[in-house]
Amino acid sequence: MLELDGLTKRFPGVLALDGVSLSIAGGEMHALAGENGAGKSSLIRLLAGIHRPDAGTMRLGGAPYAPSVPLDAIRAGLRVVHQELNLLPALSVAENLLFERLPRRAGLLDRRRLDERARALLASVGLDGLDPRRRVETLGIAQCQLIEIARAVGGGETEGRVLILDEPTATLTPRESARLFELIERLRARGMTMIYVSHHLAEIFALCDRVSVLRNGRLVETRPTAQTDASGLIRAMLGRALAAQEAAAGHLRPPPDASRPPALELRGVRPRAAPSAPRQVAGERPGGIDLVLRHGEIVGIAGLVGAGRTELLRAIFGADGRAPGTMLRDGHEVRIAAPSDATRQGIGLLTEDRKREGLVLPMSAAINTSLAALRRIARAGILRPAAERAACMEQAGRLSTRLSGPGQKVVELSGGNQQKVVLAKWLLAGTRVLMLDEPTRGIDVGAKAEIHDLLDRLAASGHALLVVSSELPELMRLCDRIEVMSRGRIAGSLERAEFSEERILELAYRGFVDPRTSGAGP
Amino acid sequence: MDRRLFLGSCVGMGSLLLPRPLRAAPGAAGAGRPKIGLVMKSLANEFFKDMQEGAVAYAGKRGDFDLLAVGIQSETDIDGQIAAVETLVARGISGLVIAPADSRALVPPVARAMRAGIKVINIDVAFDPQALARHHVDIAFVGPDNRAGARMSGEVLAHALGQGGKVAIVEGNPGAENGAQRKLGFMDAIGAGGLTLLDSRTAHWETEEANTVFSNMLTAHPDIQGVMAANDSMALGVVKAIEASGARGRIKVVSFDNIPAIRPLLKDGEVLATVDQFGSQLAAAGLDNVLKELAGQNLTGWIRTPLKLVTGRDVA
Amino acid sequence: MTDPLARRLRAVVREAGIGVALLLVVAFFALFAPGFLGETNLSNILTQVTINLILATGMTFAILIGGIDLSVGAVMALCAVVGGTVMQAPFLPPWAAVCAGIAASLAVGMVAGALNGAISALWGIPSFIVTLGMLNVARGSALEVTDARSIYDFPDAFLAFGSAHLFGLPLMFLLALGLLAFGWVVLTRTVFGRMIYAIGNNEEAVRLSGHRTLRVRVAAFTITGLCVGIAAMVYVTRLSIANPILGVGFELNAIAAVIIGGTSLSGGRGSLFGTLLGAIVIGVLGNGLVLMGMSDFSRQIVTGAVIILAVVLDSYRARLSAAG
Repeated sequence: MLELDGLTKRFPGVLALDGVSLSIAGGEMHALAGENGAGKSSLIRLLAGIHRPDAGTMRLGGAPYAPSVPLDAIRAGLRVVHQELNLLPALSVAENLLFERLPRRAGLLDRRRLDERARALLASVGLDGLDPRRRVETLGIAQCQLIEIARAVGGGETEGRVLILDEPTATLTPRESARLFELIERLRARGMTMIYVSHHLAEIFALCDRVSVLRNGRLVETRPTAQTDASGLIRAMLGRALAAQEAAAGHLRPPPDASRPPALELRGVRPRAAPSAPRQVAGERPGGIDLVLRHGEIVGIAGLVGAGRTELLRAIFGADGRAPGTMLRDGHEVRIAAPSDATRQGIGLLTEDRKREGLVLPMSAAINTSLAALRRIARAGILRPAAERAACMEQAGRLSTRLSGPGQKVVELSGGNQQKVVLAKWLLAGTRVLMLDEPTRGIDVGAKAEIHDLLDRLAASGHALLVVSSELPELMRLCDRIEVMSRGRIAGSLERAEFSEERILELAYRGFVDPRTSGAGP
Repeated sequence: MDRRLFLGSCVGMGSLLLPRPLRAAPGAAGAGRPKIGLVMKSLANEFFKDMQEGAVAYAGKRGDFDLLAVGIQSETDIDGQIAAVETLVARGISGLVIAPADSRALVPPVARAMRAGIKVINIDVAFDPQALARHHVDIAFVGPDNRAGARMSGEVLAHALGQGGKVAIVEGNPGAENGAQRKLGFMDAIGAGGLTLLDSRTAHWETEEANTVFSNMLTAHPDIQGVMAANDSMALGVVKAIEASGARGRIKVVSFDNIPAIRPLLKDGEVLATVDQFGSQLAAAGLDNVLKELAGQNLTGWIRTPLKLVTGRDVA
Repeated sequence: MTDPLARRLRAVVREAGIGVALLLVVAFFALFAPGFLGETNLSNILTQVTINLILATGMTFAILIGGIDLSVGAVMALCAVVGGTVMQAPFLPPWAAVCAGIAASLAVGMVAGALNGAISALWGIPSFIVTLGMLNVARGSALEVTDARSIYDFPDAFLAFGSAHLFGLPLMFLLALGLLAFGWVVLTRTVFGRMIYAIGNNEEAVRLSGHRTLRVRVAAFTITGLCVGIAAMVYVTRLSIANPILGVGFELNAIAAVIIGGTSLSGGRGSLFGTLLGAIVIGVLGNGLVLMGMSDFSRQIVTGAVIILAVVLDSYRARLSAAG
């Protein structure tokens, strides 16, 4: 179905793809694996017609295939669901879904037919309850991802032949992922050829027929998934075996310091309403959230997308103004009405969307590193560039961030290294209570392990960490305790000895089986 | 870049703020007293401000009619003026005095008003005769002869320089009727006095632009002996440029308008002459004539208002 | 690509782009515009760019932080008439009246700027809209204050500044240059300047790093207003007149200078050095084309075309450097 021969692509200073040849059969589910920067994205961009190869040829369904613009790819029946969302935020869900072929009647938009077809598409990706007229900007990131998939397969059912999914589950909860996998099975049964890119090795083994591994722009190996296993794949991706401690995940930190007052304590804090929170009934006052976070402790927050995890972190940080309720820092009550109040209390927030909320992408690593610590870097409001560069390189050394120098722009860094710059920012600022929202999202296996180690070390040195993650193994690997959120409340709390995916999921869904509130669905 | 380009957007903003009636004449609006509308140009301009105040004073003195005076936001706000005319007609005026922002665009609404029986007098800038003919109306124009005035001013310069004197003109807005007339008047003086014209450029009526434009003209033509500025604001900028170049006393300036700020310069001899067109009397003269029409007279053609040459001797 | 030397070299080329354009324009006029290189003419050009340079310096702050200020021309008129009115206070000795007048002008400018910044930051309204409103408020206020009349007849001591020279250069130009240099230090060497660039690139990331971005925004627009107040006084000392309709369209010249100087209209990228060159390019064009005897209308066309060309070249340059 798809044949690639000697594909080479050079960007200034980087050989992104180096003679990649690959043949994918019709109806095959083919995985692409590799670290960030290995060439997966470049390969997808060539296939999608975003870039053109410097050398090599492609054939699609037996015919030469040389797309020069994305529209060529769509016409040829090749659709890509990109990792970055491509939706138009101000338009409705239905308009986004059917943007290329809006139903018309007498030249005017046929709203009824539009909504009908949109509903059908939404149902196909498990978003049955979603109003097709809702504007996309009001939706969460996971719902957007599903809409993106619905848009691609909706157009592909009749004419589409090849579907490329780039990290489709990166932002999905297990339940949403499971629905996506069902959808993928259905498409496969119809004979759709699919290329699946994911950092989740388990998904690759569960879904795919064969897997190709890229490293430094070269194709290292292609083999049936039945003939390899996770460690074999990691070895192929890294070119070495991963340090054993990640697999073993020993919990070697000293226990949290119970002699001091908690680093952070919440009493009845009510964040801004989470998307799936039950509508407040008149007269009923929700109790708010209680939480204790000790020095040297890592507390995880689990829950479905929309359970209110991000909202909780933002409320503690004062990102949306002062949240009702009481917060104590080292036993003293503090008033946090803005991020500037939080940072003064030594609280930091590593946001879910590091590109939009964590980093100033076009600026240098040094500038980003010192962004929260300018009071330390400057004297009387005057910057000290030498001190700033030194601080940046010191942090980079501590976190083993790969930088060409303090002047390198962070936009040029890989996801893992960008995340390390954000961490460096908070460490340099002297943050003692660090909240992390999906700290390893979109980060490759090697860098992920490094970040996990780093968080371990931070906790061991007395930092208090609050971690939100949709990846349960990550939480179970890192945390001393996991608080499970459901519909804007803490549904339960699990100590390390009680950790299991079943227990966590059971608590996460608890809010949805309550007879009073069921039917609303996530 | 030409900052006048930006006027367009000011006009856009201006039209958001509808023309507002400014002040009615004192005294109760007695039944049977005629209402007279006065449509002015931008009251941000001192000249029209004075004109309006003259009209209000005149109405107060006579006391036998009600004055409804309306201004617009900028001199080129044609739409605003058309709306002002229509509003006044709707308010039941029997006479209208108008200083048109455009000599053609204002003809159709004014012609409609005339067909509704309203007497109209044109002041300040004359309507285009062809446009009037096309709409089959004849409107009397009450106003000064800008060309003759500019010629008077220019002749003072010609007399001071003598035959063969080298001069430059600083023009008003391209497209403005009075600007064009003044330039023609200056050309008349140049022709009659045997002067040589070295350069003629617009400074859009503005002091700062006139300063810049004239200092550049002076670099290109260091032998300039005299300048004719189409208004006093620009003459102020020209004089500053002359002072900055060290040619004070060597280059002579004549101008037009007689605004207060020019008087010290006339006194010092830095400006030889300017022309007073008695703007404050102009609207009053228009009102006087429209009342004559309401009384039964039929006026046509150009009713010239007086002009006066002002020199250093007049302000001493 | 990551070689620091190559990086620095590229940065120089990027900065120098407009410098090269300026050199070309100057060389062209030196050859074809008689009298262009004369000492008096060069001094004239500097005098002519002074007001725009001061306004553009302030405008650079507004644009770098991701905003724009369309009110500078109208606010300048308000500053000039308020400052001028204060300066004529009969009960003050001349020197005190001059100081009070200047202080009043600067204060009016800063208040207008602070309002622009605060309103747009507090309610999240694009500064484009807020300053468009301020344009009308300020113009209307200037007309109210003066009853639409010009103010003239200022103390001689004040007017002497306008034509004074120092080391053969116009004093007011040196003032503008000093202001620009000071602004350059603020932008490149202080925490405040760093905040401006960072907010221009990504305000949310800066806010979530624990900074009060609202204050920075207000301060940036206040600086824009301060420059307007200074420019107004330079206007009055040079032309000895303050009228409420002065400065129409000055904001567009200031914006043009900033953009020609390579500052990104979307904020976060650019420098005051570029603004200096941009303002001079505009001034040189206006001067040189007159010396060549080009008609008013053609001059307008050429100036507009050069602005477009400069911005096109800049976007081309930006793309080149992004690709690297």
